[in-house]
Amino acid sequence: MSKRSARDSRGSRAAAWAAVAVLGGFGLLPVYWMLATALTPAQQTFRYPPSLIPTDLTLDNFANLADEPALARYLFNSIIVSVITAVLSVVVSAYMGYAFSKFRFRGRRSLMYFVLSSQMFPQALLLVTLYALFSAYRLLDTYTALVLSFTTFTLPLCVWMLKGFFDTIPDSLVEAARVDGASRLRTIHSVILPLSAPGLVAAGLFAFVRGWNDFIFALTLAGREKTTLPPGLVNAFLGEATAQWAELMAASLLASLPVVVAFIALQRFLVGGITAGAIKG
Amino acid sequence: MNNNLSRRDLLRLVGLGAGAGALGLGGVAACAPSADGPTTDTAKSATDFSFASWSLADNASKAKIEELMRGYGGKAGVTVNGVPLAYNTYLNQLTLQVRGGQFTGAAQMDIAWLAGLAALGKLRDLGDVARDAGYTEAALSSGQVDGKQVGLPWTTAAIGLIANRELMQKAGVTTAPATIADFETALRALKSTGVIPYAASTKVAQLKDILIWMQTFGSPLLDGDKVTVGDDASVEAVAWYKKLYDEKLIAPDVERVDARTLFAQGKAAIYDDAIVGRDFVVKGSPDTSLADKLDPIARPVKNAGDKPRAVQWGHAVVVVEGEGANTASDFAGWLTSDEQTVLGYFKDLSLPPTTSKALASEQVRTDRFTAQFSERITATATPNPFWKYPQYAQMETAISEQVQAVLVGRAKPADAMRDAGRAVQALIT
Repeated sequence: MSKRSARDSRGSRAAAWAAVAVLGGFGLLPVYWMLATALTPAQQTFRYPPSLIPTDLTLDNFANLADEPALARYLFNSIIVSVITAVLSVVVSAYMGYAFSKFRFRGRRSLMYFVLSSQMFPQALLLVTLYALFSAYRLLDTYTALVLSFTTFTLPLCVWMLKGFFDTIPDSLVEAARVDGASRLRTIHSVILPLSAPGLVAAGLFAFVRGWNDFIFALTLAGREKTTLPPGLVNAFLGEATAQWAELMAASLLASLPVVVAFIALQRFLVGGITAGAIKG
Repeated sequence: MNNNLSRRDLLRLVGLGAGAGALGLGGVAACAPSADGPTTDTAKSATDFSFASWSLADNASKAKIEELMRGYGGKAGVTVNGVPLAYNTYLNQLTLQVRGGQFTGAAQMDIAWLAGLAALGKLRDLGDVARDAGYTEAALSSGQVDGKQVGLPWTTAAIGLIANRELMQKAGVTTAPATIADFETALRALKSTGVIPYAASTKVAQLKDILIWMQTFGSPLLDGDKVTVGDDASVEAVAWYKKLYDEKLIAPDVERVDARTLFAQGKAAIYDDAIVGRDFVVKGSPDTSLADKLDPIARPVKNAGDKPRAVQWGHAVVVVEGEGANTASDFAGWLTSDEQTVLGYFKDLSLPPTTSKALASEQVRTDRFTAQFSERITATATPNPFWKYPQYAQMETAISEQVQAVLVGRAKPADAMRDAGRAVQALIT
């Protein structure tokens, strides 16, 4: 390698690291600020000018969460609705995605775009409709209302994501299974789905995170007993004249742990799952 | 398989999107609750009912509200079912529930929201309950919409100027500024001590505070149904605000929470707040003696002798017709006028009562901050004239956006206020 190309290579690497540092800082700074606020005594939360590094550290804000027994209920509700939303979204979108990918029928493309079209108008518009609908069927304040509303928004993207994944699986594999005597369902369950694990995990994680983070639907459709973490935390820590930011950050930090753990455990599936089909010609 | 979108695909997608949108809208129309009138409660004896409240969701007040609900429940032999809703989303959530018929009973309301909820036509006229309860005239009027007593006043005060007496004295300001000219002089003296002289609202979210300054300068804001924003007085008020901004006598990017924080930290000498903000600044301050330094001052006037202006602030209790409404009405009366109950509420949450008898009690009169606030600010407070319109929040936003355009130098006061006035007028007509 010539001196010049070695210099260029070092320059490129430095630029790449600089870019990673800037983008990483951009992504991680809010998380750092959340952690720093959670560890700052409540009296110092509003210190002006603010300090990037807390001078006094405390775990009181975490300890104070024990005085909020409702948080455990919010956490439980969040886990229930997010997990069910993820499972339901994956199951339904797997069959839909497979049908769009491997079957040829009149109106297939139009139907695919129709599924996607639900993403084209504001969710708040659907909120009023869903509220009235769930009210008419006495589903308000139930897990069912939350799961159905979350799934409404996760399905289109999951279907397209999985369709793209199924497109990467050669049709010859399906035909080989048929030649060996497998039924359509057997082909899907024993051949296609095992090969699609990364895509299914990616779709499931997307749906889980969507359900976990939702605020407005959970706020409106879930009653006091079925409230999930996002509206629950707002209810608990933000009032008319007060804002308990330190405790809110401590609770938010704990609330984000399940999602972090899920991502760490499943990250190896993620990249392949999300980008599958993106380069399929 | 080719996943690329062709032009034909795109057109198809747009067409389907429009179709789906139409279906969505159709769904909204089809599923919208009927506009039928509310069902009247026919129960002859006390029944269980619901009580919606943001104070029930707020850690600072939750225990007290629960105690009150238990107290009434025990007295009347019923269960009061609490419905806690966060303050910031309270009106939207309650409106949806009332409109959909999911909520009946009593509900806490900000007096600024009454017209919006009353427009649904489901609030009970509480005139009979209010008649002999002993509320002050000012308090009673805060619960009225179009002459109908839709809410019973729970706490009534105002939004006014709060000063830090120690910082004022440090700057050599020993008496409260009486006129705008005095106020400017005081602010300049405060600036020389290194603090933000006046943490006035400069963010759109809270720039509605400019309205009271417009009234101070002589604009009525509304004359009948004619919007007067854009008149000479309102333009003069905004030009004055811009002058304070340019001289750094007020700070950029400030809203109520920021102002409270700056004040609590001793970084700002004066700010606007309702009486409910006292606990926040006192508890959030490293200065343990801040409570003793709080000094509510009358808003300076344009010309000596003018009446100081302040905008009313308060909470009311409304009753939504339907199951449990009769008992809820009795609860609303008890909660807002029973002397022992309202004095207990004042003792625990520092929110002033609304009956003449309770206001005259020694407990209220000897609370220095409340007494001064009532005498100097609440005494001349008036409601925001836009509150009578259900779309008042949009009106305030339309004005706030134009005022901010002036502050950042994107528009001249006269042009901006003319545009703001037209925008608000369009919302009325």
